[in-house]
Amino acid sequence: MSTLLTHIAISDGKIKRSSLEVLSHCKQLAENNGHAAEAVIIDADASNYVDQVKSYGAEKIYTMEDPIFKNHMNTPLLKAFAKVMEEANPHVFAFASTESTKDILGALAANQDAAVLSDVSEFDLIDGGISAKRPVMAAKILSSTEAHDDQILVSVRSGSYDLVENETDAEVVNIDFSFDESELQATLREIIGASGDKIDLSEAETIVAAGRGAKDEEGQNLINELADVLGAGIGASRALTEAGIMDPSLQIGQTGKVVSPQLYIAIGISGAIQHVAGMANSKVIVAINKDPDAPIFEIADYGIVGDLYKVLPPFIEELKKIRN
Amino acid sequence: MKFYVCIKQVPDVNAPIQIKEGQLIQDTNRMILNAYDASAVEEALVLKEAHGGEVEVVSVGPDKVTETIRKALAMGADKAVHIQTSGDAEYDSATYATILAKFFEDKEYDVISCGKQSQDTDAGLAGSMLAEKLNLPYATNAVGLEMDSDKLVVKRQGDSGQEIIGLPSPCLVTCSNDMNDPRIPSLKGIMQSKRKPMETIELSSLGIDESELSPKTKVTGYQEKPGREPGQKFEGEPEEMAQQVAKLLDEEANVI
Repeated sequence: MSTLLTHIAISDGKIKRSSLEVLSHCKQLAENNGHAAEAVIIDADASNYVDQVKSYGAEKIYTMEDPIFKNHMNTPLLKAFAKVMEEANPHVFAFASTESTKDILGALAANQDAAVLSDVSEFDLIDGGISAKRPVMAAKILSSTEAHDDQILVSVRSGSYDLVENETDAEVVNIDFSFDESELQATLREIIGASGDKIDLSEAETIVAAGRGAKDEEGQNLINELADVLGAGIGASRALTEAGIMDPSLQIGQTGKVVSPQLYIAIGISGAIQHVAGMANSKVIVAINKDPDAPIFEIADYGIVGDLYKVLPPFIEELKKIRN
Repeated sequence: MKFYVCIKQVPDVNAPIQIKEGQLIQDTNRMILNAYDASAVEEALVLKEAHGGEVEVVSVGPDKVTETIRKALAMGADKAVHIQTSGDAEYDSATYATILAKFFEDKEYDVISCGKQSQDTDAGLAGSMLAEKLNLPYATNAVGLEMDSDKLVVKRQGDSGQEIIGLPSPCLVTCSNDMNDPRIPSLKGIMQSKRKPMETIELSSLGIDESELSPKTKVTGYQEKPGREPGQKFEGEPEEMAQQVAKLLDEEANVI
């Protein structure tokens, strides 16, 4: 029997849904193959989240608590993960593919001499390792990959698996952690524009995304109004984040966030492959664009060819009526 | 400031791609400098122009990568190292990091930089692997770099905000393409690049036997991503279209 360990990511005081998706998948793999599904929470208040993790099937939950984990810093995190791996000795250590994960995954693999596959859209156990599918070439192609090793790290794109509740009576194990801040060479000086009450795009059910066509104030107001009506997160194409019109953390695409909401409304976005790479897994895509040949229409379930300034006001009114 | 910028030659993701019997058929004439690495080169040049120093680029690959190295030299890098491989085997991120770590073992530098990922595989692992192997403080996904006395100040895009991180030298940083718009080489730059020094190093001189590099991960095949079919497209009166689509989203797609 081996251990499939899932990292439970905490962001703004909440468990990231994507890490529970990964845990749900690992639980299923563990049940099908006679392995153990375990989880680890590393946070300043790790024990607060234990109960919620229990409902997703972890048989053992490791916690590691220290104030230093309040903000993301790669040096203490690496040390923490290395210690967790010594303690839990996982065959597979699975992560949700967040920016924090991306920051440390390669370093942790090098530190532990473990095999690693990043940003997979699915993975399975095979003899002596794992097989996985990874989107490559701006997500136009899926590569089939394999990793063979005693220890394998894998990070999974958000939205790849469904949440499956599975209440389990888990054993909770606290792992001591101490960190001498004088060991820190890299120093965190400041955090700008932390999200506060904004909707996390990688977990949003509905996303309204703005492109070049909606760059002026009137366009931005319409985007905000539409998002309000739908309770949606607001995203942007690279054109708008690069121009400084929208916050860089809102960028969706190969470079920015990869999202998979139930409903994605692309407004004034032409649909360059780099953008599509970040949103093509949305369940329903609506596109509003005045250029009938815009590539976004090739992937949209509902395409509206028209001027967004004329289409959005009645669209918002109609949606308001439906929501009421 | 001594900058080493690690660059990779990658296929142009905008070029047509074919898959035959699970293998990727690429147009080998459409190989380019990885866009994220181009941003790393650009930023090193900007810092060099402001604070002085030297920018040296390093690339691992078969002889063909010298075209991409010339591009970086034409942008303004001072010199280059080509770590030559046969090009027969496919390397994973860890293999590149192992080769580069051997190269940097006896080098002196202030900053090693590279793109945050390569635009063909999007793995995003080699940078932090290299930092760990060289025991360097590092930051990934940088969207801005500045010098502050002896520290490199990195603005990185985190999960919810931008983190400002001070790194002492030597350090490693991986760059996002949101950092800048890489310059297009001028004609003068291209002429000059032909006279700039490019050293070729064989793997054996780094104490590496190419036949013994055995990646722990491998690609076993490729397939087209199941594509989305275009759905319904509406053209006409804005009010009418708005009404129709809102109704369909509610009653057909069931997502409102």
